[in-house]
Amino acid sequence: MTTLTTSLLPPSLKNRPEWGFVCGRISALEGKLLSKEFYPSIIEMHHTEDIFQHLQGTFIEDYLGPGIPWEDFSAVADRCFYDLAVSIREDSPSPVPANLFLIRNDYLNIKYALSRMEGVPFLPGTISEHIIYSVLDRDYGDLPAPFRERITGPAMDLDELDETASDVFVDGAYLRHMLDLAAQIDSPLIQVCVLELVVGHTVSALWRVLRQGRDLKSIVDYMMPLGEENSLVFELSDMPDPAVWPDIIGGEIGDLFSRALQMPYDEQISTFELKVTNLVLHMATYARFETSGPERVFDFLMALEAEMQNLKLVVTGKINRIDADVLGARLRYVGG
Amino acid sequence: MTPEWIEIGRGLCYAGAGLAFGLAGAGSAYGIAIASHAAAGVMREKPELFGRMLVMVALPGTQGFYGFIAAILIMTQTGLIGGGSLKITLGTGIALFFIGLGDGIAQLMSAIKQGEASAAGISLIARRPESAGRAILFPAFVETYAVVALLATILFIIFLTQPSIIQQAVR
Repeated sequence: MTTLTTSLLPPSLKNRPEWGFVCGRISALEGKLLSKEFYPSIIEMHHTEDIFQHLQGTFIEDYLGPGIPWEDFSAVADRCFYDLAVSIREDSPSPVPANLFLIRNDYLNIKYALSRMEGVPFLPGTISEHIIYSVLDRDYGDLPAPFRERITGPAMDLDELDETASDVFVDGAYLRHMLDLAAQIDSPLIQVCVLELVVGHTVSALWRVLRQGRDLKSIVDYMMPLGEENSLVFELSDMPDPAVWPDIIGGEIGDLFSRALQMPYDEQISTFELKVTNLVLHMATYARFETSGPERVFDFLMALEAEMQNLKLVVTGKINRIDADVLGARLRYVGG
Repeated sequence: MTPEWIEIGRGLCYAGAGLAFGLAGAGSAYGIAIASHAAAGVMREKPELFGRMLVMVALPGTQGFYGFIAAILIMTQTGLIGGGSLKITLGTGIALFFIGLGDGIAQLMSAIKQGEASAAGISLIARRPESAGRAILFPAFVETYAVVALLATILFIIFLTQPSIIQQAVR
């Protein structure tokens, strides 16, 4: 059983003056974050012109030119988040809090390259385009250590892996990279949040593999090692029935898993992922008790990412005429 | 009392004066730097808030002046400025040394903490500019104890350097 954090208790926070500039900037930016009431009002709108008007004054306003088709809204929202995250990283004394969000695109690009498709479809966070292109030539030497060391350590031939195993391998490297980054910064709050995200992502990745009818034991090695969570992964792989997983996972994440199991079959995994994200979003809001520190950056980027995901959900949902109740239930937590 | 002891007494009281303005000045500089970082970050997004930021940034600067006042008072009361130097006893010198040190520490800490409180107020103004009036109140409370420390220092210096008291001690 994994030792989950005391997520109901705020970890200690200390003000760090060197983070004052970026946190002052974030204080100004936080005033532009959207409220809970914003999304239901968009869901109730019937015309895209009304939505466009409603988005004036938000972060995404500058990216919505007259010629931008609504079908590209997801890409616009991703670009908006990326630009702001990169800009905040430049203003920060340490790139770690922003990189925790930016590396996700890097690993999606690696997955894309490993499937032998040309191009870099996701905005690169820390890994440049030419390194991604070298993956197509089976050159992994410049990839981050969490990925590279797993290949050069125990013998691993990526070319022999099928798509699922390859995805699990990249997921494992991504999670190790997250844990490595969290360990680099002296912040209990960020470390707790990252640990919860890693546990949640690990469980959902294994759950998806199980849904594909694959034997977890044969595939779980590709995800390892995951530090303190190794034992959790091995225990889950020994139990192919998700009904017993809440007891193995334990803690808050175990409770969330248990609640997700009560949802309709097709919604279980997405519900679990949403609940884990909401839990971490809620935990990160403790950072608002401090004046300056990396936690403020982490909290703001969590909130901004949630805002962009919520906007993508409601705008594309409206375009595709998805029911308002379905959209409302999928919204991420919005802090006060 | 020998001239050597009087010299030691004078040396100690001027060391106390040095600590009073040195520590207070250092604290103010640090406190202003803390508030300035936050204010500069806010102005990157909202340059129109410059006026309100300026007040918050200036708040921790007062402690440096309080330390300066304490140091000047020690120098005038003991005759370093203005002539007519008193014969400072060793006991008075030690007392003035620790009064200067105590005042310096009080000003140092309050300036740093006021800088942090100002930075928190700056965050509030950045989110809600209309709250500027209330945001200034919390750092102002920190100022109270810097003022109390200065008042106590002034009283100690004045009464310790009364010529009648010193002459009585010298006899």
